[in-house]
Amino acid sequence: MSRQPRASGYFRTGYAQDLKLVQTRAERASLALLGAVLLAFPFLASPFLLDLANQVFLASIGALALMLLTGYAGQISLGHAGLMAAGAFTVGILFRETQAPFWITLPAAAAVGAVLGVVFGLPSLRLRGLYLAVSTLALHFLVVYLGGEYEAKRGFSTGILIDPPVLAGMAITSGHAWYGILGTAAVATLLLCLNLLRSGTGRAWAAVRANETVAAALGIGVAGHKLLAFVISSALTALAGALFAYHRGFVSVEAFSLFLSIQYVAMIIIGGMGSLLGAILGAVFVTLFPYGIEVALRALPGAQRYAGTLFAVNYAAFGFVMILFLVLEPLGLVGIWRRVQTYFLLWPFKHRPLAGRRR
Amino acid sequence: MREPATKLRTADDLRRTTAPALLLERARTHPHRVAFRAKTLGIYRECTWRGYAERVACTAKAFAAHGLAAGDRIAIMADACEEWLICDQAAQALGAIVYGIYPTAAPEEIEYQMRDGGAVLFIAENQEYVDRILPLVERLPALRRMVVIDDTALFAFSHDKLIAYEAMCAAGRDADLAWLEARTTNLRPEQPAFIVYTSGTTGHPKGALITHGKHLAATRSVAAQYPILMEKTHRTVAYLPLCHVLGRDIAVTLPLLTKLTPHIGESPEDLAETLFETAPTVLFTVPRTLQKMAAQVLVQAGSTSAFKRFAYNRATKFARAHVKRRWSGTAAGLPALVQAAWQAAVFRPILNKIGFDKLELVVSGGAPLPAETMAVWHMLGVNVCEMYGQTETAGGIIAGQRGPFPRPGNVGSVPEGFEVTLAEEGEILVRSADVFERYWNNPEASLAVLGTTGWMRTGDVGEWHGDNLRLIDRARDFLVTSGGKTISPSFIENALRASPYLAEAVVLGHGRKYLTALIEIDFETVADWARGNDVAYTGFTSLAQHPRVRDLIQNEIDRANAQLARAEQIKAFRILPKALDPEEEGEPVTPTRKVKRTAMYERFRPLVEEMYDDREEKLLAASAADALA
Repeated sequence: MSRQPRASGYFRTGYAQDLKLVQTRAERASLALLGAVLLAFPFLASPFLLDLANQVFLASIGALALMLLTGYAGQISLGHAGLMAAGAFTVGILFRETQAPFWITLPAAAAVGAVLGVVFGLPSLRLRGLYLAVSTLALHFLVVYLGGEYEAKRGFSTGILIDPPVLAGMAITSGHAWYGILGTAAVATLLLCLNLLRSGTGRAWAAVRANETVAAALGIGVAGHKLLAFVISSALTALAGALFAYHRGFVSVEAFSLFLSIQYVAMIIIGGMGSLLGAILGAVFVTLFPYGIEVALRALPGAQRYAGTLFAVNYAAFGFVMILFLVLEPLGLVGIWRRVQTYFLLWPFKHRPLAGRRR
Repeated sequence: MREPATKLRTADDLRRTTAPALLLERARTHPHRVAFRAKTLGIYRECTWRGYAERVACTAKAFAAHGLAAGDRIAIMADACEEWLICDQAAQALGAIVYGIYPTAAPEEIEYQMRDGGAVLFIAENQEYVDRILPLVERLPALRRMVVIDDTALFAFSHDKLIAYEAMCAAGRDADLAWLEARTTNLRPEQPAFIVYTSGTTGHPKGALITHGKHLAATRSVAAQYPILMEKTHRTVAYLPLCHVLGRDIAVTLPLLTKLTPHIGESPEDLAETLFETAPTVLFTVPRTLQKMAAQVLVQAGSTSAFKRFAYNRATKFARAHVKRRWSGTAAGLPALVQAAWQAAVFRPILNKIGFDKLELVVSGGAPLPAETMAVWHMLGVNVCEMYGQTETAGGIIAGQRGPFPRPGNVGSVPEGFEVTLAEEGEILVRSADVFERYWNNPEASLAVLGTTGWMRTGDVGEWHGDNLRLIDRARDFLVTSGGKTISPSFIENALRASPYLAEAVVLGHGRKYLTALIEIDFETVADWARGNDVAYTGFTSLAQHPRVRDLIQNEIDRANAQLARAEQIKAFRILPKALDPEEEGEPVTPTRKVKRTAMYERFRPLVEEMYDDREEKLLAASAADALA
């Protein structure tokens, strides 16, 4: 999808220029600024903030994967936690049983995710909407059950411990190293998604989401593209699960409850459906939200007395925020961002000029 | 890195050469430099000087193969497009005479020009123009071939004279620059190169015949008046019809003389998009475009939110005062800094939205530019200058404001190579070695304009303001009210047109008690206004007839009236129920949208008569008739 540059004077003399992701000087400058902030962050932030950033990166990968499936291809899935569990357990099992290094376990996790994607995706060929969601939910329980069985049968009932991955002879344990790895993984996922969506596949997904019959009439293989969406999304999710396992150094079924699936769905809804930026904003929001609530509660007088209720307040506030978003801002955080952006882009006008439109 | 300026060749030099020869020279000296960019399928495809010359060579050879010889005429009916340039140069290289037909011309006009010019080749941009020429073919014995540039919509057309441009060019595929060189050396600069039909507001258009050398030498006056064109590579947008001499200057001739690089959009209708994408550094344009774009800016700024409006109002308030300082040449120091700050904060973002932020020079020609329009652009920080030329000055200009930021109200000084004097009644007379030869097939008109004294009559009335020429009016276009007042309607019309909501205003009132006006609303801006003010409409007519739109226009007229003397004020007006469309036969506008006043009256007589309540006269006449009986 070739986007029109937002500033004047950027004409294209070849199709290669059409494919550039960054079109204008202003975009390049703001991207450079963002890059500089991201690079400087680990050197300035406290270990706690650094850990938060790492959690955000992990959540972003998962949210981007779910956004591809739900936000673009239009297939609802509640099995996200199950897929993350599959990735994490692939790493755990391979590491425990064969001592395999990360460059084997990570591709293996992706492959398991892809296979599960086909399995998760098959119901989508017959089922839509709520029914599809329930079928993915069933698979979630299946994966979690298998993981639990493995833990119990092999005697890891409290969870599987995983050694930190070794890269170039160094064990990756520090928050800084993880920041680099997870940050790179998140950026790579974003670029992959961006380019996928600009390609024929992405357009086919959009067509399938808009109207399956019309998509089929346009010559798009509906079944194939639905399965492909599941495969790619599941592989990425499993990869996120695998990275999660390494980052934690520990795999346990408790970490992959249904609530995790709900959280990911919340990320893409709060972030804004149908936008990659939305997936990232949602990941940031949902990850930081409980900490925000905690800080807010601490600031109240007599904070000690509420300490026990923090967990409950968190859940309630989360649900409340979800409802607020659905009712007041269905476009999500990205909707707010676009409004702010438009305000400045159109400065000092309010509406887009009609001039460019043909009569 | 500063690039070296190109040297402007002398007039004598240019008078001894031809455009195809200059093209070949460029192809030799700067083979890889971009000559122009033309947008096709979303991409501005670059054409180098060498590529340009090679395509001209192929086309010329193909033309020759189809029997085009020196002195033959060839007609092109197309919007500004690269093939126009190429066919034009190819035909000129063979010594043939090119003329363009306005893409908006009505059928009878096409027939007149085809007969008058006697073209043997007709180049059509697409099927649309083929459809217009086909019914006339039987009545045009001279016509041998019709060439279609874009034959995509040409199913089921079969005519033995019809051929696709691509197919025709196959005949000249082996032509190279040496072949073209051999043709151009045979060309004589004093031979005719092209005809430009003047879109007269009275009678049939007259074809001004212009020679190779004189055209180049005359067009040099534009480059001499605006030396900025020689300094560095400039982007410009070529969208004006090339059958007009100004359009030809921009797209064909000035690029050969200066460092102007034309950019051609996919269609002239996409002008806004083309401007936005290419962000030209120099723009030659007509007042209508400047007016329309200024109107859009004003309407947009008027409907913005509170804080933005506040910022805009403060900026304009300062700019309004500052522009006066600029005109009087005292803009320096602190005020200049403040203006620069407003420019960066408010005006530059506005200009960026319409692709005007890189403009160093805008030259308006072709028709008088209302002072208000010029002032608005100056306030926004765009250096708009006005120039004044005629088809008869062969592409050159009679006067041009050099700027930067000249005071509006005159058309500037006389350039090198032209002399101007005022005749007794103020008529502007021009003397130069480089004017048109004669009118095609019209010796009486030629004599009337060229005379015998060497001074060419322009038909326009002017006066001197120091070194600057000021245009008063087209000669003979005055009207006299029954009160005996002589009034220049175009002056009042310009005052009216300063409103963003008016596309066209025609002032009437010859021999009447008071002046009235017929108004064409500007559909885009009025529609914008309607959206913002909850006025429901379904189309042009329903919008034009809406009572609240009437009130809006009344306000605009009142505002204009406030600046006018009593006798010049518009006492009544009517809004035209439809948009004026030059493509429709019998419409009272020329293809360049100049209004034919008398035709306007004929066409909308009931509307006009409605405005003059003549009961009084009838009563007098009735009683007098009794007395005189």
